[in-house]
Order: sequence, then structure tokens, then C-alpha cells
Amino acid sequence: MASSFTYNGQEYQLDPNKTLLENLEAQAVSVEFHCRDGHCGACRSILVSGNVDYSTFPMAYLKDGEVLLCCSKSNESINIKSL
Amino acid sequence: MAYTTFSTLSNDALKEPMFFGNPVNVARYDQQKFEVFEKLIEKQLSFFWRPEEIDVSRDRIDFLNLPDHEQHIFISNLKYQTLLDSIQGRSPNVALLPIVSLPELETWIETWAFSETIHSRSYTHILRNLFTDPNEVFEDIVNNQEIQKRAVDISYYYDELIHAVQFMQLHGLDQTDVEYVNIQGKAEKLTLRDIKKKLYLCICSTNALEAIRFYVSFACSFAFAERDLLEGNAKIIKLIARDEALHLNATQQMLNLWADGKDDPEMAEIALECFAEGREIFLKAAEQEKEWAQYLFKDGSMIGLNEQILSQYVEYIANQRMQAIGYEPPFEVKNNPIPWINHWLVSDNVQVAPQEAEISSYLVGQINSSVDSADLSTFEL
Repeated sequence: MASSFTYNGQEYQLDPNKTLLENLEAQAVSVEFHCRDGHCGACRSILVSGNVDYSTFPMAYLKDGEVLLCCSKSNESINIKSL
Repeated sequence: MAYTTFSTLSNDALKEPMFFGNPVNVARYDQQKFEVFEKLIEKQLSFFWRPEEIDVSRDRIDFLNLPDHEQHIFISNLKYQTLLDSIQGRSPNVALLPIVSLPELETWIETWAFSETIHSRSYTHILRNLFTDPNEVFEDIVNNQEIQKRAVDISYYYDELIHAVQFMQLHGLDQTDVEYVNIQGKAEKLTLRDIKKKLYLCICSTNALEAIRFYVSFACSFAFAERDLLEGNAKIIKLIARDEALHLNATQQMLNLWADGKDDPEMAEIALECFAEGREIFLKAAEQEKEWAQYLFKDGSMIGLNEQILSQYVEYIANQRMQAIGYEPPFEVKNNPIPWINHWLVSDNVQVAPQEAEISSYLVGQINSSVDSADLSTFEL
């Protein structure tokens, strides 16, 4: 079964080659972003379940359980909600 | 507690707090207590740019064709940004270097302030191109009431900290022989905790500066460029905005590391104690920026932006930036009133397509393309 990406309770398709931000944008979900490079923190969100891999070092300050959408990918089902 | 440029005390920098521990001795970056500051240095260095790389020569024509009220918006913003970067180009160094205790943080502070000096130099680059004599513009920065109001608030927290630290490093904190007279001329009992509190408030104020004070000007510059006007300027502002996002990251890191108890435990207590005051500093900065928008548009708005939209944007980013340091968002606004601005704030997107505007990166490696037959006179077949 293909992995899924749940965002704010809504289920979307998950492409493991794209960042989570790109995944949402490809499915017409508007998400806040600025730098798209992991340093501004505009796309900070809460990881409800699942794991992410970072393609670049996430520089923005993250509290426990928070993730940056712009520089993370996932190849397993993942559940995220906005702050 | 005198400052020393090279402490011979053999200490473990990994065990020092960010500030008010032992002075940094060996500038070593093989290990870091807080890796993020090393990453910030690397990122800031990779962002290096020079104002002269950007051709602003076409901006002069655009500027001269603007109606008076739009010229006022453009020049006032440049004046305000010149003020902000004048302060930021020196203050982190003067205020924070004498008290910092981690090598990676010390170098980050220097890298940060240096990049602000590049911004200051870029304003001169822009203004020199617009005016034969930019003197009048620069002189107005210290006379303009609207700019002055903001300057006082920004420099106050830095000055308070610098003053107290200088006293401590000269006289110690004993205060039996010499009493501390604060910057307002009043006698004050000074403890290390008091100075730490001044540091905390100073970083709160700097964080508000990096978080929102620049963004009214940024929005105006990008709004001009959306109309294909003053594009050279917008390209410079885009590079500045990219740097400012890093600087903001650093102040957010410091505030969060303190509040979460990951650094000096006394700073965690102070963060709790000053929670309300830190919020007030932020709200006051937001209020001043909205007043600035009012001043900018006093004689008329510009296409795509007016006072109301800009004030909403200030509230919108204030919400975001305050959430990032643990406050509830104070304003109602939920959506970005100028969503197009995000495309100007993307970090890896600074190069533009040739058909859109002149590419700045080509100018870096330019060569002299005029070849005279005399240049070939030494060639023989």
C-alpha cells in the first residue's frame, strides 16, 4: 500500500522524492513558506506520527515534536498538523 | 571580571553558557556546544555578496518618473533601513562580544554584524546612483522625527547593556568603592542577574527588530519591483532579506535556548520573569511599524499596497514571529494579505531569469569585451 500524508486531518498522496512542502503544494494545499532552506522557520509544523529525513540541516529552532516541511522528506505514512 | 582578549585559563567551552561564562580563548570550531551557530556562520558566508555586483543604473530613471508621494515612500524606507543597519552593524559586536563565552557564538556575532555593514554599504550604493549628492538624505536620518522615535527604542536596550557591562568589567560588582550610576544618571544596585536581565531584554528587542522592523520597507521595495520599477534596488533588498532571515534565526535560537533551560539556568528564570516585558517589546515594535506605514502613505498609497494592507502584514508576521519564541499570536489576522511577497523571500531563488531583469551574477565575473586592433599588434603568424 502506498504511504499517505495526513495534513490537518486530511489525507493526501505522499511522494517520497519530494519535500513535504512540495507534496502539499503539488496537491494545491497552501502552506506558509519563506526561505525553503530550513533557516527561517515559516513552515514549522507539528509531527503527530511518522518520521522525517532532512535533506539539509534544519536550522530553525524546533521544539520537541516539531518539523520543518521545506527541507524534510518521508517514505512512510506520516501525520502532520499546522501550528 | 575584567575582559581579557585571551584567557589562559584552560576551560571546556562545551560546558560554558552562551554569555557571562569565561571569555572565549581558542577560536576552535571542531566542536560546538550549539551546532546551529556554526551552521549559521557557514550559511552566512555562503550568502556573501557585494552591492557593486548589482547594477542599479536603471533605477535612477524609474525613480525620477515616480510621483512625489512614491518618491517619499522609497526614500523614507531607505533612510529607515540605513538607520537600522547602522545600529546593527556595530551593536552586536560592542554589546555582545565582551560577554560571550562560546567560540562558535562569538564568530557568529562577528559574521552577523559584518553582513549588516554590507547592507549599509548597499544603501550608499543605491543612493549614490539616485542622487548626484546623497548628503541631504543621510543628514535627514538624524533629524527626521519619525526615524528618531524608532532609533531611541532600538538603541536603548543595547546602550543599557553596554553601560552595565562596561561598569562590571572596570569596577567589578562589589560597588563598595564605586557605585553604579545607570545610563539615566540614577544610582542602581547592579548584580550579575540584573545584567543578565538587561541582556535578555536586549536580545528581545533585537529579535523584534530582525523579525518585523525591516519588513515594511521590504514589502514596499518588492511592490515597486512587481511593477517592474526600481528592480536593481529590489534585487539588493532581496539579498538583504535573505541575510536578515538568518539573523532572526539566531536571536530566536538564543531566546528559545534560554526559555527551554538548555543554556544558563539563571537565564531560564529570567526568561520566565521577563515573559510579559518581552511581549511588550514586540508589541511596541509592531505598533511603531504600523505608525511607520501611516507616515509612508501620508500623501497617498502606491499600486498594490496601502497603509491598511501593510499594517495587516505587520500583524501577520508579528503573529508568526511571536509564535516562534513561545508567545500566543496577539493579532486576529490569519492569512497573509500580500502572499506574493513569499516568492521574494525564498532563499535559493535569488537569481532571476535574464528576460525578467539584469542578472547580477554575470557582473561578478565580467571581462572587458572591447578589443582594439592594437591589442593584437604583438601577434605573429
